[in-house]
Amino acid sequence: MGKNIALSVNGERFEEQVPIRMLLADFLRDQLALTGTHIGCTYEGVCGACTVHVDGEAVKSCLMLAVQCDGRSVTTIEGLAKNGQLTALQQAFNDHHALQCGFCTAGILMNATEFLAKNKNPSEDDIRQALVGNLCRCTGYSHIVEAIKDAAAKMR
Amino acid sequence: MYPAVIEDYVAPRTLNEALQAFGQFGAAETLCIAGGMSLMQAVKSRLVRPKRLIDLQHVADLKGVRTGSDGISIGAMTRYVDLAAETKLHGAYQALNDAAIHVGDRQVRNRGTIGGSLCWNFLAACCPPVTLALGATLELARTDGRGGRQTRSLAAESFLKAPLETARAPDEILLAIKLPSPPKNAGSAYQKWGLVTDALPVIGVAVYVELDASGTCQNARIAIGGLASGPRRAATAENALVGARATDSDKIAAALARASQEIQVQADLWADQEYRRFLIRDLGQQVAKIAFQRAQGG
Repeated sequence: MGKNIALSVNGERFEEQVPIRMLLADFLRDQLALTGTHIGCTYEGVCGACTVHVDGEAVKSCLMLAVQCDGRSVTTIEGLAKNGQLTALQQAFNDHHALQCGFCTAGILMNATEFLAKNKNPSEDDIRQALVGNLCRCTGYSHIVEAIKDAAAKMR
Repeated sequence: MYPAVIEDYVAPRTLNEALQAFGQFGAAETLCIAGGMSLMQAVKSRLVRPKRLIDLQHVADLKGVRTGSDGISIGAMTRYVDLAAETKLHGAYQALNDAAIHVGDRQVRNRGTIGGSLCWNFLAACCPPVTLALGATLELARTDGRGGRQTRSLAAESFLKAPLETARAPDEILLAIKLPSPPKNAGSAYQKWGLVTDALPVIGVAVYVELDASGTCQNARIAIGGLASGPRRAATAENALVGARATDSDKIAAALARASQEIQVQADLWADQEYRRFLIRDLGQQVAKIAFQRAQGG
């Protein structure tokens, strides 16, 4: 009931044995100790806090099994900043106070990072639409939207 | 919510390998996982407890939209994100774009597939009513036990049953959703209404129309989603739409009013029966108008 999987996580190669039923979110947190990926809604797939990239695309890691990532490349929030250098989006979240408790932030950053990679010049509506899968209960989203807008402008 | 023990998992690269895996495992307690956006929820809540999973994510033959002399074929493992951007469907089959663009959220659209949605046939899913309205045919395959495969085709109407039920046999894999070559002057549209942006639909309405050269409707199909009975066509309303033109607002309104009466709707926490009828009528009129515009190249 275990499987051997080989995958890349934040550019590092891992070969691990995992129970088939292990969720990707738990694999990252419990087996690789990458606890930046958060569990907000007890794995119901609705809050988006556990969003990571699989082969560059934003997915909810509580809706995938770790075995499904065999041979694939996963990026978590720990993989965004390189050598302590924040990405433009992370810096914009800082500048615009786009977080309060911060619990949802990792998932929002992962989702918005892929969104901005695909949408260079998003409207406010596009940004709000893109955030449908991420719940934030503190900010009311306004500062998050501002931060994403600012990051988009700086990345152009 | 955590899955019960799963004993085996395979991720075949080809369709034959996938079909053979069913042969080896046996269909009982074996499930295919497509994007897993519904199935993982069901596995975690233990609505289903598969002992074995066949993961179809790497089967290239099941992905993508192809056009040929016999029409359009949408691979069952085509994801919402790809379907949303698929220009080959514009006009006659654009209702599928409409549905895919607003399913769930970005993360779900990056994984979820049209085939998964149809095989799960959730009450509040968008693809089932749209496939009904477009008159799609579904192609299914199973192993013949000798290394080959048996295929069959079913109209969407025969495939989709009550919520969470389809005509798919436990050891069958849905291969593709087939649409005829788009007729001239055909258009379709879909819209849903839910409690918040891109929520699961309380009601979803899909309309397909074929017009003659003068812009008069010759053939129409209307399908409603969000119903306790599963997706349903509104036959009386379809007949009432024949003969209408894009500018015949009264005729279109009358047809959709019929749809709202002939369809059996349920009352629940989200909407009472009267509101569901209002949604079918009101949303349906808007959807029908968009379908007419698209049929005229608009």
